[in-house]
Amino acid sequence: MSTSKVTVHPAATRAAGAGREAERALVERCRRGELGAFEELYRAHAGRIYGLAYRMLGNPADAEDLLQEIFLSAHRKLDSFRGDSALGTWLYRLATNQILDHVRSRAARAGQVTDGMDDMSAFADASGHRLGDRAIDRVDLERAIAQLPEGCRAAFVLHDVEGLEHQEIADVLGIAEGTSKSQVHKARLRLRALLGRSSA
Amino acid sequence: MTCINYLSAIQDLVDGTIGAIRRAEVEQHLEQCAECRALHDDLQRLHDAAAALPALSPPDGAWLQIAGRLRQEGRLHDVAPSARAPRVHSAWLAVAAALVIAVGASVFALFPRTAQPPSAPAPAPHVSAQGNAADTKSVETVQSEVDLAQQQFEKAIADLEKVAKANQQALDPGTAATLEKNIGITDMAIAESRAAVKAEPTSVAARETLFDALRQKVSLLQDTIALVNEMRKGNNAGAAQMLNKS
Repeated sequence: MSTSKVTVHPAATRAAGAGREAERALVERCRRGELGAFEELYRAHAGRIYGLAYRMLGNPADAEDLLQEIFLSAHRKLDSFRGDSALGTWLYRLATNQILDHVRSRAARAGQVTDGMDDMSAFADASGHRLGDRAIDRVDLERAIAQLPEGCRAAFVLHDVEGLEHQEIADVLGIAEGTSKSQVHKARLRLRALLGRSSA
Repeated sequence: MTCINYLSAIQDLVDGTIGAIRRAEVEQHLEQCAECRALHDDLQRLHDAAAALPALSPPDGAWLQIAGRLRQEGRLHDVAPSARAPRVHSAWLAVAAALVIAVGASVFALFPRTAQPPSAPAPAPHVSAQGNAADTKSVETVQSEVDLAQQQFEKAIADLEKVAKANQQALDPGTAATLEKNIGITDMAIAESRAAVKAEPTSVAARETLFDALRQKVSLLQDTIALVNEMRKGNNAGAAQMLNKS
């Protein structure tokens, strides 16, 4: 399996231009060991990273454990932050790589990153369950994402929630670009079935 | 039945990666086929809903666990209160609430096989608070939040004191005496801060000082428990390292 790492994220890139000077000062205070400074950094980024971990792993306990490991690791690695990218980008990259390492090792233990759900069964499963006209409830959607098979869920979260391109997903998950696309498509069909069933 | 040959193209349409000619063909099909139109609309809504999912708030205890571990490693330290920026009172409420959970975690760390963290809330995530609700809070609301935060700090301190005192025999008498002395100094700071708050109930600075003193005591008690934990595990080197830092 490929060990390619995430290089950049679109949302993080958008924020890259702002507040570099303030970020440098914050990082410097963190390096000096100021509790308040690191808490500030944590409060600014923990929500996004926890959301990614929670959705990728599918359960809150693992997500919390990993969140702690990510921020401990971030503090230890702050000396390697050179300010070439925004702090958020650096942190997001570190977090994504750590989450993916966890997903890969868990998938390796379970057998495979991809899952056994083929296109036809996903399609057949989804075709009888329309979402109807009501709005998609956020909590229902989160619950349905957590029920997706692992490989399918990782590709879907990275593509539809986080906004990565299939090529980037293929690199980070160590799969073919076509597989990433197929996994995302299957995930959507499965979600339609899950949410359609619950609204029926 | 949805037309299977259009399935992949419908997904590409949702992704916005379909070519112009194929797009026109699919859109023409969607106009004629209600099943495929329903599928496209549902997938588009799912895609949009997923993209709009918000950041999630991590459990309150997560930060305290991180801070505790970094403090134990000697990588973080508190800054004098005067160097801190003023904080919003409701932030203290969150910190205080989190402390109750952290106390549970400390107990769990001390007795991993025999004790469970007390009444930790369900770990389901919730959406980050948005907007400026805090700005519109009444003075009464703020006061009641401050009182509640103070109560929760005091509850956390009482629980930690109970655990620390019950296990102090694991420490050698000299270390125990030093810790006792430090706790005494913190208690004096708390008493003085309380008197200041009583004299000036609306003073933000007085409240900040009180909360800082309360937090300092929590840190001290957490360090005491961590120290006991290291000694129980037979990690004398780790315990010595912690003592040297304090």
